Amino acid sequence: MPKRTDLKTILIIGSGPIVIGQACEFDYSGTQAVKALKEEGYRVVLINSNPATIMTDPEIADATYIEPITAEFIEKIIVKEKPDAILPTMGGQTALNAAIELYEKGILKKYGIELIGAKVDSIKKAESRDLFNIAMEKIGLEVAKGKFIRSFDEAKNFVKEVGFPVIIRPSFTLGGTGGGTAYNLEEFENKVNRGLTSSPVGEVLIEESLIGWKEFELEVMRDVNDNFVVICSIENFDPMGVHTGDSITVAPAQTLSDKQYQVLRDAAKKIISEIGVETGGSNIQFAINPVTGRVIVIEMNPRVSRSSALASKATGFPIAKIAAKLAIGYTLDEIPNDITKTTPASFEPVIDYIVVKIPRWDFDKFRSSNPESDVLGIQMKSVGEVMSFGRNFREAFQKAIRSLEIGRYGFGADGKDIYDTEYLLGLSAVEKAENKEKILSKLKVPRSDNIFYIRYAFLTGATVDELYDATKIDKWFLNQLKDIVLFELDLYTYSFN
Amino acid sequence: MEKITPDIIRKAKRNGFSDIQLAHIFKTTESEIRKFRFKNGIYPVYKTVDTCAAEFEANTPYHYSVYEKYNESVSSDREKIIILGGGPNRIGQGIEFDYCCVRCVKALREEGFETIMINCNPETVSTDYDITDKLYFEPLTTEDVLNIVKYEKNVKGIIVSFGGQTPLKISKELEKNGLKILGTSSKDIDIAEDRKKFGKLLDNLEIPKPEYDTVKTLPQALKTANKIGYPVLVRPSYVLGGRAMQIVYNDDTLKSFFEEASKFSGEHPVLIDKFLEEAREIDVDALCDGKSVYIAGIMQHIEEAGIHSGDSTSILPPISLSKKNLNEIKKYTKTIALALNVIGMINIQFAIKDNVVYVIEANPRASRTVPFVSKTTGVPIASVAAKIIAGRKLKEFELKDFESLDYISIKESVFPFQKFPRAKMFLGPEMRSTGEVMGISKSFGAAMAKAQDATGNPLRTSGNIFISLNNNDKKPKAVNLLKRFEELGFGIFATHGTNKFLRENKIKSEPVFKVNEGRPNIVDLIKNGEIHLVINTPLGEESRFDEYAIGWAAVQHKIPFITTLSAAQSVVEGIARIKSHDLSVKSLQEYYKN
Repeated sequence: MPKRTDLKTILIIGSGPIVIGQACEFDYSGTQAVKALKEEGYRVVLINSNPATIMTDPEIADATYIEPITAEFIEKIIVKEKPDAILPTMGGQTALNAAIELYEKGILKKYGIELIGAKVDSIKKAESRDLFNIAMEKIGLEVAKGKFIRSFDEAKNFVKEVGFPVIIRPSFTLGGTGGGTAYNLEEFENKVNRGLTSSPVGEVLIEESLIGWKEFELEVMRDVNDNFVVICSIENFDPMGVHTGDSITVAPAQTLSDKQYQVLRDAAKKIISEIGVETGGSNIQFAINPVTGRVIVIEMNPRVSRSSALASKATGFPIAKIAAKLAIGYTLDEIPNDITKTTPASFEPVIDYIVVKIPRWDFDKFRSSNPESDVLGIQMKSVGEVMSFGRNFREAFQKAIRSLEIGRYGFGADGKDIYDTEYLLGLSAVEKAENKEKILSKLKVPRSDNIFYIRYAFLTGATVDELYDATKIDKWFLNQLKDIVLFELDLYTYSFN
Repeated sequence: MEKITPDIIRKAKRNGFSDIQLAHIFKTTESEIRKFRFKNGIYPVYKTVDTCAAEFEANTPYHYSVYEKYNESVSSDREKIIILGGGPNRIGQGIEFDYCCVRCVKALREEGFETIMINCNPETVSTDYDITDKLYFEPLTTEDVLNIVKYEKNVKGIIVSFGGQTPLKISKELEKNGLKILGTSSKDIDIAEDRKKFGKLLDNLEIPKPEYDTVKTLPQALKTANKIGYPVLVRPSYVLGGRAMQIVYNDDTLKSFFEEASKFSGEHPVLIDKFLEEAREIDVDALCDGKSVYIAGIMQHIEEAGIHSGDSTSILPPISLSKKNLNEIKKYTKTIALALNVIGMINIQFAIKDNVVYVIEANPRASRTVPFVSKTTGVPIASVAAKIIAGRKLKEFELKDFESLDYISIKESVFPFQKFPRAKMFLGPEMRSTGEVMGISKSFGAAMAKAQDATGNPLRTSGNIFISLNNNDKKPKAVNLLKRFEELGFGIFATHGTNKFLRENKIKSEPVFKVNEGRPNIVDLIKNGEIHLVINTPLGEESRFDEYAIGWAAVQHKIPFITTLSAAQSVVEGIARIKSHDLSVKSLQEYYKN
């Protein structure tokens, strides 16, 4: 379909200040979107309160508003600029929330403005737990079992159904205060009661725990003709339980069989159709039980995301730009691929290398009395990330570590190890065993520095199986890390001079 | 032991081992490893990110390294400039430097150079393949940069001053390896960064600076602190972002803090500076071509000196500087920029106390405030700086004077305290904000109201405020401030001490318990939604528990939480503006038109 000619002016909502979980990836996507729409001859109005962005440079959009991203201020801009449509999928959760607020306050209707890229119904279906679960059930996909409860008795009945471990999340508390995981009834009783007290509405969500499951993401796009492409598959090195933003991730997925991948691909197609994202990109997250192979749909973001920025850089496929063009009516087969010039955007990217992303944390700045403050969990804590390319995982992984600027130049053996290789190798068998146990027990709790402790564990003689039991990191990755260590050990048998 | 062979090194490279790792493993130096590699022809080749695994032809110059055969990155005959990006985002080094790099690349392309960007952060605009002529997605280490340079011919030089600390850290090594650093020379950068050399320069130029000294032992530290006079700012040298930095008021605190500072300092000395208490802090961004200087913006901080400039609230143009001080700041900026032979950007921080303007530090490179100044004035500072570095002169540009603006911009910082329960919430010399917002308007109050709104903690126009003042702050300034709140119709709750002070000064307020005094206490009131603004000025080392509990309750309930009287004063202006319904919107393009 050709592009829409009934639209003249389009308002793009940015993502506001950089906060943990919403960083400059939205400057990247927003800048691409503004450029793509201008290229097509539309007048583009932009709102973003963050002056440090490229997108707010006066030459990028036609009218640039550095104003608070609230319904109140957006309405003032609407009155002045009279946009025909709003593209809310480029500015992260901030922009989606603003769009929903505009809808609910009747502002969209009042000024006759259309949302493009994602409709209100789709956004709601993707974001509301209930609506999403109903939608998944309809297309025969599983979600994690969960229930809102208001008393311990109710909770006990539910836990009988799903079994331990379970996750307890009190409703409406900030930063997951009062939540946690329970492995037995005693813990469960304590944590549910604590959760009920700390929740201002006395409500707790009990959810079946997927901790230790494998986590995958698919970056997908769909157009008005129901054409569908997977731009990239991403595998989380860290198992479920660690936020994707705090997890090392790898593209393309490494440990899926072709059959499993097709299962996810088919599921993704069904999900994006059912949720109803007609014109744009989405990020869909899956968990796979490493033993049974059971697939659970975790969530879907009906917008560009941190992962889509990563997928764009990893493949060369400019997701935000293409999403902007889909939003104005083009179909995937009508948009040329910038890189090859000869193929259309409906060709799925193929890559012949591996990309590794590693998060960067800044815990030092928030030293506190809380010994758990650097434990990684369901709430994202990293402030940035690096990505690197390699022909194999080992190469990309070591390059990524040295990109981090944390004073490390690879997977250990750089003179910065807390335990030197020679020291660990020189320990007696008893000392090695003691150290191994200590290290393995540390590794049971995900922390930002665990990766280096995996190396120490290998040097004290830990096996891949032992490390798997401690970390639930897929054995394929553990074997890769082991290979690096073995290679290092081999190097010591040579002299340089 | 068998002697190492080129094959094994090549294999190590294919497993991702860096030269530094190999040097450590073989107990030699990085440069010896590199020499061995280059002698034996062990370089990476560069492959293209082409979306199609080379099935179709692609000419996109987006590359990554692997240790294989067949290089796909073709070097043209054009004159090239390499720009080093900012690496991963972290606190203190964020999107601002991505902005500066992108502007730099665009400007150099306009000047006809081929631009080559090296960066490893996938979130950025600078790693978008259509921003630069050529993009290498690679780590920003000496090794990786030198590998790339080997393939690129006709390189005019490399720019390290736009990407923040990341590229600067490796600039000396790159220069040692024969690369030409463009812009301000590394000799002059060193003068600006070395405390002793910079202090001497200021003395020669007869520019005031806070007294300071460097010490290595605790007895020396105590002696120096007493000689300079408390309070002093104690910090390790050669540590970035204000880590392990503290304002110290007496011998006891110095004794307890010294150990930590010297631990971070390692073999380097610890710095002890006179802390200019309650001084006003000023930030200046300027451009220099070696001959003349353009002052792009003078920003006044709302918070007093002692709070990291990246965490403070800045106002542009300044609203309450005397003509005399303003002129001194301009004069000093020009003198310093010329003395350092700056080619490109320079940022200088000043403090004003008792009508004396002191220079705190100077950084001859892109600063965090460059995008804020540019968005306010419309002058693309980073672009002009890039063109100056490429050989242009300031007089070739028509640059607007920031003092001619008839509107005001305020930059406000955004903090991640929600994510770090129990971390200290009071601002200090260590930067902790993740991002920033800007409020722009005709009036100061409206700009302030917008900035607050943009941070997600909008100011309420009615309700109650809670105030707890430390003894230093119990002054007429505070009384006037609270009168304004009273006039605006706010109820006032105060801790017992502050309540007493307010009553003595005829301001009506209700006493409320501190957290450990009984219940219901202030945290209960916050939780019950009865408080709409918290003003709590920190009291040194004491009542940590209260500070945390109140701060955390405020963060959780999204109530503006203010820790300095000056910030509270600005907030009152903001509230007054919101009440008068005077918050209109205007695009940057319209602002710049006049």
